[in-house]
Amino acid sequence: MKIKRNAKKALSLCCAAVILVSAFAGCGSSSSSSSSSSSSGSSSESSSSGTLMSNEEIIKKAAADGKVGNWGLGNEYEILALLQKYDLPTDYLAEDFTMDGFDQDDITLASAMTYNELGLVKNDYDGGYKYGDTVGVIDMNDEGVAMLEDNIFCTKKFAEENPNTVKAFLYASMKGWKYAVENPDEAAEIVFEAGSSVSADHQSYMAKEVAKLVTTDTKGNTVSDYGKMDEEAMQQTLDLCKQYIQFDDSAAAKKLEGFTLDDIRDNQYIEAATASTDGNFGKLEKDKVTIQLKWLPQAQFMGYYVAKAKGYYDEVGLDVTITPGGGDISETTAVSNGTVDFGVTWVANLTSANAGGMELLEVAQVYQRSGLELVYKKELFTK
Amino acid sequence: MIKKRKSLWRRLKENRAVQTLSTILLPVLFGVLIIALWQGQILHKIFNTDINTLPLPSRICRIILDNLPSIGENALYTIIVALAGLIIGSIIGYLIAVFASLFQKWGAGGLTIVGAFNAIPIVALAPVMSNWTKDVSSDPNFRSMVAKTLVVMIVCIASMSINAFRGLTELKPFALDLMSSYAAKKRTVFFKLRLPNSIPYVFTALRVSVPISIISAVVSEYFAEYIVGVGREIRENIVLGQYPTAWAYIVVACLIGIAMYGLLMAVEAIVLKNRRIKN
Repeated sequence: MKIKRNAKKALSLCCAAVILVSAFAGCGSSSSSSSSSSSSGSSSESSSSGTLMSNEEIIKKAAADGKVGNWGLGNEYEILALLQKYDLPTDYLAEDFTMDGFDQDDITLASAMTYNELGLVKNDYDGGYKYGDTVGVIDMNDEGVAMLEDNIFCTKKFAEENPNTVKAFLYASMKGWKYAVENPDEAAEIVFEAGSSVSADHQSYMAKEVAKLVTTDTKGNTVSDYGKMDEEAMQQTLDLCKQYIQFDDSAAAKKLEGFTLDDIRDNQYIEAATASTDGNFGKLEKDKVTIQLKWLPQAQFMGYYVAKAKGYYDEVGLDVTITPGGGDISETTAVSNGTVDFGVTWVANLTSANAGGMELLEVAQVYQRSGLELVYKKELFTK
Repeated sequence: MIKKRKSLWRRLKENRAVQTLSTILLPVLFGVLIIALWQGQILHKIFNTDINTLPLPSRICRIILDNLPSIGENALYTIIVALAGLIIGSIIGYLIAVFASLFQKWGAGGLTIVGAFNAIPIVALAPVMSNWTKDVSSDPNFRSMVAKTLVVMIVCIASMSINAFRGLTELKPFALDLMSSYAAKKRTVFFKLRLPNSIPYVFTALRVSVPISIISAVVSEYFAEYIVGVGREIRENIVLGQYPTAWAYIVVACLIGIAMYGLLMAVEAIVLKNRRIKN
């Protein structure tokens, strides 16, 4: 009797487990079938007939369908500016950190960084979506709504108290960036070995794209003074911040309104670093420093990894620890409360953090142009 | 002299009105003390933090008052998700329990599986549900509401079904014997004995589910496709370094939780007026 009961119990457990597994398998298969159908659709006869729409028409069509995507969290201001430029409502869908939504046409005009998501969309290496040239892009620099991204910042207090450390750190970091930009493949390898979050192939693609952002400004001119803060591009970024950052906190909103560039950046450190030939700025006030990245280890931050691997930091007498970011660990918070000394963030993030009450100071602007693009499938936007 | 004072103290202690007063007064006083320490920045010294990461109550209150309409809208979406998930989940959970109690030998095993669902972290569940419901509607707000509600529902099913199953099956031994001596049908046993017996257990489940439904709603908003809700605002504002605003939404989330729990207590007091749980 008891055996029978136990057997029944086991049987019931099995039954429930089978139902469960099949339910999950069911939802998995339905999504994968839809993705395969959409990707096969894109490969077949994308350039059959008709001409590609203009950028303006593409943006208007995607906005009318409500299928413009962005990650939000302070990365959306350029998209809002772009939508407003064409008198469109500034609504967008939240993208996750994959391009699945784009692949499955939930988002037809998706935000992508040139060095990251765009590579995944186009390329056929591991993790790629293999779209190749069947996708087109809209560049924020060309549309005149570019905002500057990766910079180096610390607190105002830290910069005041440790001017020589800041200068030496910038000197060595920019030396690292210079080497990385000139040797992207080697830089990618260094980053990959330092604990990369993505594949070696993607890392190498990223290094080459990042090099373009570091050496070209918003107008397409070549930049040779790495890390310099271009007044015009900085001002445009700040103006767009003032226009599009919305605060519920009226005190922060008021503070932002009164901001000038002097509230967010100081040129003297990078100018001294650029002018120096040997990286000797006198006694370092602090010789052990940390820098927190905006995201996981990847070629986006190759300059710092190269400077560390090549011993550039050691040359100026600095012991540098690189702390990866990622998820919700906010680099502005980490620098503001003194957990780390330096941080890499976007100018807009620094501006809004300062408006909220932090006292942060940008000391170098590594990326000279916006790396944000909107990517679309050409087949969906032909007339 | 000493004797007299002692007796006064004892009289106060045994006075019912004073007892009731102190159960209300003491927590309130404690709350006021914390807020005073907070506003006076003594709390900041204790936790070694600054007024940026832990903004002052006055600033938080001002932000709430300045933004009542938008905070209200976000709170409304969170409440809808939490309540819908709670109600649907609890009903499904109860039905599962009823089903399990009818086939007890099978049911106990089935409930183990349901219990296992409870162990899946919300963080893992939310993206799965978002992905699963993306074909539900062309309106992103609606489909992410569905995804969020599903997460809350799953979490609520588990606690309700396990508790209700206990209520439906753990009867007083003599009661079941009495019923069988009356030759009562299974249906009668269910409606006259099992169902009433399960009511206190339902409230036990709800006491767990109500706070959990708010937490699940808030966390699932992090992963939702459409940007709305108290939880989402907390996250967005923290990432943007807007701690005062984030704290305003944290306070709102707390208020929602307290309000819903208070409501549950009130309903429980009315429904269980003439009952006492005997364990």
